[in-house]
Amino acid sequence: MEVLSSLGINSKLLLAQIVNFFILLYVLKRFAYGPILKMLEERSQKIEKGVADAEGATEKLKEIEKKEKKVLSDARKESQKIIAAAEEIAEKNKKEIIQQSEEQSEKIIAEAKKKIEEEKNRMMAEIKNEIAVLVVAATEKVIQEKMNIERDREIIEKAIQ
Amino acid sequence: MEISLAPETIFNIGNFPVTNSFIVTFFISVFIIISSLLLRGRIKLIPKGFQNIVEYVLEALLNLGDSVTQDREQTKKFFPLVATIFIFVILSNWIEIVPGLGTVGVNQLHHGENVLVPFIRSNSADLNVTLAIALISVGTAQFMGVSILGFRKYAHKFFVSPFRKPYFIGTFVGVLELISEFAKIVSFSFRLFGNIFAGEVLLTVMLMLVPYIVPIPFLFLEIFVGFVQALVFAMLTLVFLKMAVTEAH
Repeated sequence: MEVLSSLGINSKLLLAQIVNFFILLYVLKRFAYGPILKMLEERSQKIEKGVADAEGATEKLKEIEKKEKKVLSDARKESQKIIAAAEEIAEKNKKEIIQQSEEQSEKIIAEAKKKIEEEKNRMMAEIKNEIAVLVVAATEKVIQEKMNIERDREIIEKAIQ
Repeated sequence: MEISLAPETIFNIGNFPVTNSFIVTFFISVFIIISSLLLRGRIKLIPKGFQNIVEYVLEALLNLGDSVTQDREQTKKFFPLVATIFIFVILSNWIEIVPGLGTVGVNQLHHGENVLVPFIRSNSADLNVTLAIALISVGTAQFMGVSILGFRKYAHKFFVSPFRKPYFIGTFVGVLELISEFAKIVSFSFRLFGNIFAGEVLLTVMLMLVPYIVPIPFLFLEIFVGFVQALVFAMLTLVFLKMAVTEAH
């Protein structure tokens, strides 16, 4: 005990220090560790949730992007298909129209030719008649004599042909 | 200049001697209590200022504890004691840096001589304080050991029958373990006391020899020593607690 007291150890002080430490322990546990540890846990949970949410959002975004790409490419394909079909139809129409118009023009030309032919024939006939009359008149004048009309006609026609 | 191993009594309340280190202990305790009360009302999910510092320290201790116990639940069980030891001891150690240490005080008559008794004495340089914490630390280890392992299993660490497998070696090791429990109290208290007392003496002496500039590196050294000693005390407590609740094999 001599040694202890020469080192400054005093039972009253020792007890006081022990009590003091327990008071500190209680106060810190009650007011500092408890709330702070709870808060730390809460925060880490919140952060975990946030990170998980962010990951989920990124995944969703990726999915949406994928979908978007697919929709876009589908639309592109569709539009190309439609354009190709339209081009085909247009080509067909063009050909048809050209054919039709060719036919039409041929028909018109044929008709015109036919008409011209008819006109020509008709004119020829008229001219023949006219010429016949003129020839008759001329011949009459020349020979000063009226021949039998039928005979006359025969002779003239023979001469013309 | 007189350097006393024991804390000096400033005055008496009844027959309770109020020593300078007890006064410091009192102020540190009041400081810790007020800080924790202030902190309590201001704990927020998004930390700010003081809460940041406290959280940083506590989280570092918690992670350090995890590395020793390998078990979060166990760490949480030991945490209050270990953290309180750390906080109390580091503040006690750092008190020695406060200016006026060993120089501001009252003159008292000692052994017929008039000597200066300083008001501030680091309470880690008082064996009463270090012994108190050492007793609590080792006592808690025994308590935890009994409460978690059960009395019989825990007692088996120290009292091994000489008629079982390792025979007398086991018994001998058990006795050594028992002695080491008491040695822990001594080593705990004297390690901290020795370090801080030496630091205090060193600082006082340096200040007496060269008052300007030269003591500054020693101040930094003492800050470092104070931190290391607090950490050592806390970590050893943690390790001993862990050892106490681990079954003997």
